[in-house]
Amino acid sequence: MSEDLIRMENINKFFGRVQALNNVNFRVRKGEIVGLLGDNGAGKSTLIKIISGVLRPDSGAIYIHDEKVDIRNATDAIKFGIETIFQDSALVTQLSIARNLFLGREPTKGPRFLNRMDQDLMNAEASKLLKQVGISKDIPPTTPISALSGGERQAVAIARALHFKTDLIILDEPTNNLGVEETKGVLRFVRNARDSGSSCIFIAHNIHHVFQVVDRIVVLRGGKKVASDINPAESTIEEVERVIMGLSETEYTI
Amino acid sequence: MQPTAFIQRFVYRPEFGPFVLLVAQLIIFASFSSAFLSQGNISNILAFTPELGMIALGMTMLMTSGEFDLSVGSVFGFTPVLMWTFFNTGFSSLEVGFLLAMAVAVLIGFTSGWMVTQLKIPSFLVTLGMLLVVRGSALYITAGFPQRTWTTDSPFMDIIAGSFHIGSFRVYASLIWFIVFALILGYVLTQSKYGNWILASGGNTSSAIARGVRVARTKIMLFILTAVMAGYAGVTSSIRVAAANPNSGTTYELEVIAMVVIGGTALTGGRGTIIGTILGVLILRTMRNGIVLIGVPGLAYNIFIGAIILIMMALHSWLERRHRAGV
Repeated sequence: MSEDLIRMENINKFFGRVQALNNVNFRVRKGEIVGLLGDNGAGKSTLIKIISGVLRPDSGAIYIHDEKVDIRNATDAIKFGIETIFQDSALVTQLSIARNLFLGREPTKGPRFLNRMDQDLMNAEASKLLKQVGISKDIPPTTPISALSGGERQAVAIARALHFKTDLIILDEPTNNLGVEETKGVLRFVRNARDSGSSCIFIAHNIHHVFQVVDRIVVLRGGKKVASDINPAESTIEEVERVIMGLSETEYTI
Repeated sequence: MQPTAFIQRFVYRPEFGPFVLLVAQLIIFASFSSAFLSQGNISNILAFTPELGMIALGMTMLMTSGEFDLSVGSVFGFTPVLMWTFFNTGFSSLEVGFLLAMAVAVLIGFTSGWMVTQLKIPSFLVTLGMLLVVRGSALYITAGFPQRTWTTDSPFMDIIAGSFHIGSFRVYASLIWFIVFALILGYVLTQSKYGNWILASGGNTSSAIARGVRVARTKIMLFILTAVMAGYAGVTSSIRVAAANPNSGTTYELEVIAMVVIGGTALTGGRGTIIGTILGVLILRTMRNGIVLIGVPGLAYNIFIGAIILIMMALHSWLERRHRAGV
């Protein structure tokens, strides 16, 4: 058995005549944080939407733990242990922290046909999780998401992934619009997630943030993968920027 | 919990505004008209209120999920027409006719829900079309004439729309059914996991989908629920007034939506309250009754309703801003 958690082979995706992904091969190993970089329109979002079940590829194969799978929708992705934290749509702002944490997987109590949510358990678990992800302020789990700061929202979304022992956490621009301290918090959560055994795909426009946290960088350009084994410890931000813009003469292993 | 904290929580609940309005309304009408709080008048208000109220309960659930249904008034008129046509033509017994008519209501709700969720057509357009199709069907079947409803003496009619007296106070079975439905739906919305899914579907559809919530299925079920509640209310009404008029229920959709939003449910979804809807229903029904009793011309009714909607929307918008700020 290989050490790949997920492996995607020859993925193609068209939107009308536009080819958003062109024979892309992509893999994430167990316990690895992969930075996925590329300019606007490079295909990053399309790729993660395919992994998270929002879109289906036109051709290509996806393997999880070496087993070929068909990720038809978000429910399938969750079943395969994939959790995606989208930039803006990760949480329902009207609902409380606890209700968001357990959305779609609410614990119930009492007779089964009543489907009664165990709100005491949800609140107690949420309080514990908030402490775990480092929200130091005493925020009650019944607080609506709308009352939280951007960093706190990301923390809640990540706490949810940690709680459900997700194998692969995809973070789409998790540091967008965050302050310095909040960004540090998010980067810390990502490292915590890896320490607890999860793999991550980290997408961010800010390459400085990517360099601080990832093990390996993959670059997409114009729907094609142009680099896949950039080690941030052995490269500079400028080099990676040149690869993203197509100015680099450096050949990276694909 | 401190008493002040309790009061503060109560004040910022979406039901607080409609509650205060209802109490104020009751005080004003009672002080201007001694007949307002008479047993006869209260019984009169409570005769029709549950019928519109049932539609409002279904609509509350649907609107919480971010959709609404303009065809409820037509379904209210069409379902009893169908039931009584089945019965009057000898096609079926009344009970079977009822089940068949309700099955058609299920089909109407399913069709609307399917078109909204699968064809991605806004619910305004789908249900506007459905409103015309259903109303047109009711008129076509009956050639525009009401159906006879007094040719049977079935216990089924007593169960749905019978009445009994407590002293001189007449209580309709529909009131009991309304309370039962309100308790069930209130439970579903606030206590069950389905309530969480409904709120999430209306609050942030893409997030709900990403969490594995079956948003399309949830919304289709709510369209069906709304149509069934409207159909059931129509059947109740047809038995109570001893006529199944193909035109009955015209413009109910707007009155019901007004009741729901006055009660504190958000038109855009993500927030819904059954208690608020009950208050909204009572506000509009007592308003209609009260202004006539105190001598305001009935034609001025819409001015009051419009003003109430505007005031309540302003209040809910203020509360929503406070809610967002975490107060």
